[in-house]
Amino acid sequence: MMNNEKSLSEYILDSQKLEIDNFKNKIKLALLSSFTINGLSESLKVKCSEKEISCLTYVAGYNQYNQEILDETSELYKFSPDITFLILDTRSIFGDLFHFPYSITKSERENFVNEKIDELKNLIKKFTNTSASKLIITNLGLPNYSPYGIAEMNTSYSFHDAIIDFNKKLKDEVLEMNSVHIFDFFKFVIKYGETNVFNFQNYLFGDIKIALDYIPHLANELMPYIISFLGLTKKCIVVDLDNTLWGGVVGEDGFDGIRLGPQPPGNAFVEFQKYLKALSKRGIILAINSKNNFDDAIQVIRKHPHMILKEDDFASMKINWGDKVSNMKAISEELNIGLDSFVFFDDDPINREFVKENMPEITIPDLPHDPSQYSEVIQSLHDFSIFQVTDEDTNRGKMYTQQKQRNESQKSSSNITEFLKTLNLEINIKKSDSFTIPRISQLTMKTNQFNLTTKRYQEDEIKKISEQDKKLIGCAQIRDKFGDNGITGVFIVEKTNSDEWFLDTFLLSCRVMGREVEKAILYYIINEAKKNNVKRLKAKFVPTAKNKPIENLLPDSKFIKEDNFWVYNIETPFNMPEFLTLRVE
Amino acid sequence: MSKKLYKIISKVMNINIEEINDESSPSTISNWTSFNGYVLLYELESNFDVKFSIDETMDVKNVSDIKRHLQNHGVILDD
Repeated sequence: MMNNEKSLSEYILDSQKLEIDNFKNKIKLALLSSFTINGLSESLKVKCSEKEISCLTYVAGYNQYNQEILDETSELYKFSPDITFLILDTRSIFGDLFHFPYSITKSERENFVNEKIDELKNLIKKFTNTSASKLIITNLGLPNYSPYGIAEMNTSYSFHDAIIDFNKKLKDEVLEMNSVHIFDFFKFVIKYGETNVFNFQNYLFGDIKIALDYIPHLANELMPYIISFLGLTKKCIVVDLDNTLWGGVVGEDGFDGIRLGPQPPGNAFVEFQKYLKALSKRGIILAINSKNNFDDAIQVIRKHPHMILKEDDFASMKINWGDKVSNMKAISEELNIGLDSFVFFDDDPINREFVKENMPEITIPDLPHDPSQYSEVIQSLHDFSIFQVTDEDTNRGKMYTQQKQRNESQKSSSNITEFLKTLNLEINIKKSDSFTIPRISQLTMKTNQFNLTTKRYQEDEIKKISEQDKKLIGCAQIRDKFGDNGITGVFIVEKTNSDEWFLDTFLLSCRVMGREVEKAILYYIINEAKKNNVKRLKAKFVPTAKNKPIENLLPDSKFIKEDNFWVYNIETPFNMPEFLTLRVE
Repeated sequence: MSKKLYKIISKVMNINIEEINDESSPSTISNWTSFNGYVLLYELESNFDVKFSIDETMDVKNVSDIKRHLQNHGVILDD
């Protein structure tokens, strides 16, 4: 599967043929490196265009990264990139020590690594102070070569130890930085093998330190940063059952006849389920869309000893004889997630085609005929990448199970207010701090429906805003009797002047929509305004293709229309529903 | 076989096959940068299953040089 990649010359050619595309999603990438990386820009542009992203690139001159970063007037900064990739390599960093690491003592080697880290630290500092761009730095690949050969492993703080130490120190250096991340080039080389990734002739002829054939593979591995930056991360995997989660057809082969267990070929499905489970533990929602007798299928899910995925792992289960498109629509409505956030796994090409045709926004990978390759397909998808995994991500599965219970409970209540009263809703307003900033940014990046202005904020922007007195920023954690929904609301208020504040951002995750918790958050903001003797709270509704659910928030909350804005007179009494409990941390 | 060679050159350099002849070189094909020249040889290696030495790589100045080196590797180019 891995070698399905086109050759570099095809990317170069395709990039020349790219029409001046004008996709909704746009990205500006800067590429800096310590060696020749021609072709990377072309590969990235083509790959972006395949994902309907318009990509502009700036490629710094050969080995010019120091100058470009240190000179505040450089072309790099003029380009004002969204993401800057700094691609380093072991030979450039280690210089003569690459061949002669033992010409100096152990402690000198240690000092050398510390010096190199300090140099890089200065560059990072200069860059983050000068640019708002994200900075992605590669760590170093480990050469198989050592002048000591097999004695390398008998040497203290050896050449290889020094490289590993460099990587560790680099990682520690940027761990707390929101706008700087490490691309694990070390792992990239492990994946493809040093003898493939590094080619002496390429290197000696043109200082090309990543073999030409592997440039498109590198581009592939850099795509997750772009996907994540633009908030295009997929949220939900929908799976078929027969021949997808297990081998065979349960309706025909029966509970005991399906292939699922420790022996081949059943172990291929166990392995695949483990990958799905791992993704769900990291916050990807799972759902089922299967043509089956419900009773047959649910018996397997509940009782089969080798099922890895359990009923609770699925936020929605559509197991029936309805068509897959209608089921998909029902899942999307039930979970309140747009189809463009879905990935669909189905072994049957006809089903895939049918869904693809009717719902082109769903990502539908081709599953190979051989189930032993399913796991490779799921590993190669980059659509689930996020810069930072938050508590909300790791608990999402549990939260959706609670959601299923809420829906059940809602069915038994006579009306919505009656139901909301039974929930014991608690809204906890939290400050923007180092714990909440990643989640606040994530919500601004991902939330589409209940979002007043759909302004996207990267983590470092949220951090900067939080340090200003000119803004009131915070988030809301929503709890109820079924459990904790986590941080699911965000607000940013601009303190325009002593009389007027402006609602820059106001959003709720789709998970907590329809429970009137927005009233509690507005109540809090209005009270804060009152405390500061502010007279008016101004707001604007910026309509998008998706945010219809928030359309009536302002008029319903007694905001009065004034030109293009909505204004709330602070003297107007604001009624928060009695079934809500508001706490401020 | 020259046709196969010209097809590859045309693809890598993004020009029409008709524009290519023995004398084609970096001075007649604007896309023939040093990097693209290198990509071209790399592409020829995989398509004709040959391996150029660094001396041969350095020696290539135009299409006729490419033909000569391919022939030295036993590739038959009939026109």
